Amino acid sequence: MTADVFGARQHSRHFSFGAEVFAREAFYAGAALCLAALIAPTVVAMALDARTLAGVNVWLKPLRFEVGLAVYLATLAWFAGWLPPGITTTRWYRIYSASVVSAVAAEMIWIGGAASLGIASHFNESSPILAWTYRLMGGLAVLLTSSALVYGILILRNRNSRLDPAFRLSVGLGLVLTFVLTVAVAGYMASSGGHFVGGSSTNAPGAPLMDWARDRGDLRVAHFFATHAMHFIPAFGFLTAVSLPAPAAYRAVIGFSVVFTGFVGYSFGDALMGHPFFAVSP
Amino acid sequence: MNLDAIFQLASTIALAGWVLLLVSPIAPTFADRISGLLIPALLAVAYAGLVLAFWSRADGGFDNLPNVMRLFTRPEIALAGWIHYLAFDLFVGSWEVRTAHAERIPFLIVLPCLFLTFLFGPAGYLAFTGVRSARAMTLLARTPSLQS
Repeated sequence: MTADVFGARQHSRHFSFGAEVFAREAFYAGAALCLAALIAPTVVAMALDARTLAGVNVWLKPLRFEVGLAVYLATLAWFAGWLPPGITTTRWYRIYSASVVSAVAAEMIWIGGAASLGIASHFNESSPILAWTYRLMGGLAVLLTSSALVYGILILRNRNSRLDPAFRLSVGLGLVLTFVLTVAVAGYMASSGGHFVGGSSTNAPGAPLMDWARDRGDLRVAHFFATHAMHFIPAFGFLTAVSLPAPAAYRAVIGFSVVFTGFVGYSFGDALMGHPFFAVSP
Repeated sequence: MNLDAIFQLASTIALAGWVLLLVSPIAPTFADRISGLLIPALLAVAYAGLVLAFWSRADGGFDNLPNVMRLFTRPEIALAGWIHYLAFDLFVGSWEVRTAHAERIPFLIVLPCLFLTFLFGPAGYLAFTGVRSARAMTLLARTPSLQS
């Protein structure tokens, strides 16, 4: 395999994923670990707390954000190995990454705090303070998502990278698309005042874990795929980089990115028309 | 899972940690990892879950004694408080064993401190601190350079 898609330190005989991810970006990796540590008490709270919000346990949402943000930061920490050398020790980068992690912390405190009070976090306009907090958190969400954009641009511009070109393109494009598509979808969701589209009085249970509506449109589906462009596209890039010759792999990554963007657009438009992604089984 | 079951489970796990400390001279590292790290962490998860789920609905507060007493009128918060005792007492007990091991304080002297810590947490800590100070002073007095 000529493609250096793993990018791990070759001299390490005992390869450890945890040690490698901390060597690449200790701050993001540490923040991801702290978020993961929150999962256990949240699961306990979910098991003990009978309160529900919009038909589901109040702790399901903090749990999803803990998992999602931990995956996000851990992925960024892994991708940090392909940033231009030395950039993570610069002053601007340290200030920027600290503000990203602070934004993540603020989101978790807001979402967890709302759950502990049994009230909605997003879309909560019931009091001026809650409404303004929601707006502030929207801004912080853009800030934390911008790290994907910054990483994507830096990795695309890092021509000295040892990385296989097609895989490098897939990582960079995936990261940039995560930012662009997420901000587009989530921005629309925030301005429309809710993620469900189409009235329905039936209270069909949502899809497992994700809780996506099965009887009406749910914009969170598009949000999910938009945000995971940084996983789907590099995963595709990895497969093509190890299986296709370089020019073909490069074109395949571009093609897949276009198709993936179209798929996010489709799931968004479909939800806007009130169609569920997973319809209720007959 | 109801509160009584959580109480029983937490107390049993904590007790297992204390038994392990009693036999820790046989396997100091293993006992320290279980009683000083794993079990307090498990209890902390249970505590944090209870506080997340029930704190916002509890009356009272930290500001004066009647308010603190009012907090404990809610069974979930009283259970959280009990798990807090279990976790921190065991953590302190493990610290005593670990510190004694590092400072070569005989385990037989630590044992009564452990019992006190198990039953009356801070009193055991006080006893161990006394034993530790006494030993440090003794060693200091025996240091030749100070006997001139």
